[in-house]
Amino acid sequence: MAAPAGLSPDVPLLEVRGLTKRFGGLLAVSRVELAVEPGEVCGIIGPNGAGKTTLFHLVTGFHHPTAGEVRFDGRPITGLRPHQVCRLGIARTFQIVQPFPGLSVLDNAAVGAFTRCREVAAARATAREALDLVGLGARADQLAGTLTLSDRRRLELARALATGPRVLLLDEVMSGLTTTEVSGMIDLCLRLRERGLTILVIEHLLRAIMALSDKIVVLDHGEKIAEGTPAAVSRDPRVIEAYLGVAAGRDGR
Amino acid sequence: MASLAAALAGVLLLAVPPFLSPYAVHTLVLVLFFAYLGTAWNVLGGYAGQFSFGHAAFFGIGAYTSTLLLVRLGVSPWLGLLAGGILAAAFGCFGGYLSFRYGLRGPYFALVTLAFAEMLRLIAVNWMAIGGPMGILMPLSKTGDSLWRLQFREKLPYYYVALALVVAALALVRAIERSRLGYLLAAIRENEDASEASGVDTMRAKLVAMAVSAFLTAVGGTFYAQYFTFIDPGLVFGPSVSVEILLRPIVGGPGTLLGPLLGSVVLTPLSELTRALIRGRPGVDVMVYGALLVVVITFLPGGLVGALRRIFPRWRPRQA
Repeated sequence: MAAPAGLSPDVPLLEVRGLTKRFGGLLAVSRVELAVEPGEVCGIIGPNGAGKTTLFHLVTGFHHPTAGEVRFDGRPITGLRPHQVCRLGIARTFQIVQPFPGLSVLDNAAVGAFTRCREVAAARATAREALDLVGLGARADQLAGTLTLSDRRRLELARALATGPRVLLLDEVMSGLTTTEVSGMIDLCLRLRERGLTILVIEHLLRAIMALSDKIVVLDHGEKIAEGTPAAVSRDPRVIEAYLGVAAGRDGR
Repeated sequence: MASLAAALAGVLLLAVPPFLSPYAVHTLVLVLFFAYLGTAWNVLGGYAGQFSFGHAAFFGIGAYTSTLLLVRLGVSPWLGLLAGGILAAAFGCFGGYLSFRYGLRGPYFALVTLAFAEMLRLIAVNWMAIGGPMGILMPLSKTGDSLWRLQFREKLPYYYVALALVVAALALVRAIERSRLGYLLAAIRENEDASEASGVDTMRAKLVAMAVSAFLTAVGGTFYAQYFTFIDPGLVFGPSVSVEILLRPIVGGPGTLLGPLLGSVVLTPLSELTRALIRGRPGVDVMVYGALLVVVITFLPGGLVGALRRIFPRWRPRQA
């Protein structure tokens, strides 16, 4: 192992160039540029409909871009199917949780583990590790459909982790959680970060995104309007305008 | 305890039928035959959750292939069933690829499979070289019973063949259930997008399920042709065949190992009974089926197996 993560590596692990997605007349994502270094946590914020989730869909192969490309570890992955993207090492969670409700918690995670395990026993062992990591070890035999929302989000995270990713894309893993659960989820994300995972996180909850991110990218109407450290971004007037509307006291547009 | 019960059931299944009347044996053959077909359908429709409404396509391919090979070339049905199975698997993969490639799911997939089966039925009706609408009557072996030609005067040997088919199919499905493929199919059934995101090559897994399901169903078609010694396009490619195939696993419990068998044990004698009681009024048994389906779908979404599991929670499957 060479230099610790974060010390100016040459190649970004995940790179997005001029990425554009048009749905009919709607430009959902427009010429977005993004480079995420290994070990970095990149927060993505923006108002509803800014194109955040579409960006995730484009990176993970659920949508194919109208223009632009996605590179992972230096090679282009644009146009690959979702499972191929996942096998290369990019795992994701969904904004609306999608566990396999009729399968046990362990089997849910095992499905992810089969990405790198051929044998059932090995996959189940890998799945168990992932469950322990997210704190669901005790619920392994329960049906996934019976979990609370917070635990379902953790389960989705475990299933993603079981695929052995290098990059993790988290789509609003905090939404709908109580304050205590949010703190728990932030702790979990910090632990994943310590393990060297590169994380992209979409989040509305500013407390969470500020605590987690090395840098923040702000999207609005499909375009990147700002990028920088949490502190810098939160002072950016364009961000304040996009996020909070025009400041009180001034006249409307 | 469970293995003791299974051993006892095995002894009964092997030892009792020789003492039964031909009609009782015939009913048992039908029970096993439909249990086998349901088990074959279950791989794709139950485990993978891809609801096929056109398994008659595979059934007919199996029946026609082995019958033509036997009648025209004298090839043993044992080889014919392999040929029919492989043809059906290939056809299934072709149709499956087209359907899955364009993202057809749920009712759309069901409609496309129905269309594929109907297409084959129409081809068979219009293709005079393979008998056209008249079908094919299988000449009986001059030497009487022949294992090589899979022809017997009595029903009993067919019973044992059907029993072997069911046991083999159940063993295969059980192996799939516990394998990597079993996990992947269950994931696809539960949520296809989440499966893809978790690294599952859903196309490939569905095609494997399709190939296995089609192959097994085609073997059932060969058995049908040998047992009834007559096939025509409507009998083996018709929509009612597809319905008969999927009814038992749906009622018994789709996606469960013993669901199709249980469904057949309940439905097949019932169908024989309604047919016997209401003679001369064709269609009444279909009405009974329809009513039964409504009841099952409304009150027993997991089929009979699902209902039993709710009553006896200990029967829930636990993977080792």
